Amino acid sequence: MPKNTLIDHHEKHSAGYHVQTIVVVLITIVMFFPLYWMIATSLKSAEESQLIIPTMYPHEFHPENYVNVMTRANFSKYYLNTIIMTAGIMLLQIGLGTLAAYGFAFGKYPGRNITFYIVLGAMMIPIQVTFIPIYIMCAGWGLVNTFLGLILPDAISAYYIFMMRNSFLSVDQSYIDAGYMDGLGRLGVIWNVLLPMCKSTLFTVLLVTFSNGWNAYFWPKIIASDEPRRVLTIGLAFLKNTFAGQAVANQHEIMAGAVLAVLPLVILFMCFQKYMMTGYSKAAMK
Amino acid sequence: MSKTRTQARNLQPPKKTILTRKNGSKLVDFLFVLPALVFLAIFTYYPVAKLVQISFTDWNLLKPTWEYVGLKNWKWLFAGSGAKYLWNSLKVTFLYSMGEILVTIVGGMIFALLFNRATRGFTLMRAVVFVPKYVAMSSCAVVFLWILNTDYGVLNYLLGLMGIEPIDWLNQESTALLSVLITTCWRVIGYGMMIYLAAMKGISSQYYEASAIDGANKTQQFFGITLPLLAPTTVFLLVTTFLSSMKVFQSVDILTSGGPARSTEVFVYLIYRYAMVDFRMDRAATSAVMFFVILLVITVATMKVSDNNVNYDS
Repeated sequence: MPKNTLIDHHEKHSAGYHVQTIVVVLITIVMFFPLYWMIATSLKSAEESQLIIPTMYPHEFHPENYVNVMTRANFSKYYLNTIIMTAGIMLLQIGLGTLAAYGFAFGKYPGRNITFYIVLGAMMIPIQVTFIPIYIMCAGWGLVNTFLGLILPDAISAYYIFMMRNSFLSVDQSYIDAGYMDGLGRLGVIWNVLLPMCKSTLFTVLLVTFSNGWNAYFWPKIIASDEPRRVLTIGLAFLKNTFAGQAVANQHEIMAGAVLAVLPLVILFMCFQKYMMTGYSKAAMK
Repeated sequence: MSKTRTQARNLQPPKKTILTRKNGSKLVDFLFVLPALVFLAIFTYYPVAKLVQISFTDWNLLKPTWEYVGLKNWKWLFAGSGAKYLWNSLKVTFLYSMGEILVTIVGGMIFALLFNRATRGFTLMRAVVFVPKYVAMSSCAVVFLWILNTDYGVLNYLLGLMGIEPIDWLNQESTALLSVLITTCWRVIGYGMMIYLAAMKGISSQYYEASAIDGANKTQQFFGITLPLLAPTTVFLLVTTFLSSMKVFQSVDILTSGGPARSTEVFVYLIYRYAMVDFRMDRAATSAVMFFVILLVITVATMKVSDNNVNYDS
């Protein structure tokens, strides 16, 4: 660090260097603006948010917009629904996925490769293709507008199984043997040896799983668009639809809802930026 | 020491739990993967088969019974009145896809070159540009719905300051798809940048030093060293962005609902409309099978490209 500043002080920067700085700052301002505008609008009053000449910052602060969205627009319920759905999906994906990853990595049964290809093949079949039969099935089982309907079709993540299997295979065999020698069963080895040794992969995959669950839109819209099981993403879209006739009258509250919907994720990912970036770049390198 | 310990263990009677390795059989190994396979069979593979079946029936939710009608739906989709909607949505999806790929790769690359400086200010600005990636698409969409609003939107206001007449961004055919792309662009460009920056870090500085001695200028270095060595990264972004952009739905649903006049009706939205708005499961299933085939072709094609095009060092 001190070395860099020394160089910076002594080097005469070219005109191009300064032009680059200016361009980058301008881009950053433009890129930041939508976020700023979301927050700024969310704090304005209804009247202020619909001025023909918009105010660039809230002249009067109205933090009660957030309270309104949480209570009147029922966002607190949507929050709870989103948490339950995401937790359910993650539990199943981790539980069943870890078992499967172990089986595909070390299992000795015949046809292991074929069954693994079946899992990989599933990555090529998104819910956008299969939602019609799944919806019909779930409707037949009475799962429309239920948590089970939201969670079950997403219970297995081929991505999770694939990543964890590769990670398990990279663990040195001697650690696994040592585990068995100490009398651990398969589950014991997974829990005490494999998972702890694959912590960083596990964590990265979990972040991806979490954000997929939290941001899910397509399937929740199909299976649970009614009020009692609405999740945040759907609730937000409905907040907009409800006031479609008078599209601007409610902007301050819609923006407050948007802030509430993204806040947990943005905070989480800002904290784990490093993890996410290694995850992304690792994926890019492969 | 470990040897004696092993022997000692072997002397003990085997434990009675099913899940220990020594007693375990191949069957137990299989039980580990069974739940995953069962779920995939029910929620992924069976639906594909069912989809193909429905495409040969006249199933719709407005009448209680259905029967096989042969190729009727397929004829309707390709040659009947459904054809123009099919080609329209293919065109829209393809345009959108090209737009998102272009923004992610070209935009991401330009951003990466611009933001590539190791100072604290630049680190902070990189984070700001990358944050939209974490913003849920639904929040993204409602924010841009507001920014692009014709009468009260801040974009038209700012354009007005520059003397440009208000543009009806989301409600006219010529700009609706562009508006969807602007929203996507804001969300993905920082991601492209970060991926490229991470890859650039992996390029050894020796290449640049050596070429500088040979008298290469910055432009030559970029086209001679940076671009070719980033080829695997570009292919990665191309493949992943292509597949994910084909599945676009959320932004279209919130911003334009496929309108105006179907000018933003991407393929998934077409399927969604047949199934959940018209309740024509037969037509929806036929389109979905079609969509599945398209995805499969893209996947196989891109896999070929990435096999031929990577691995400079590994």
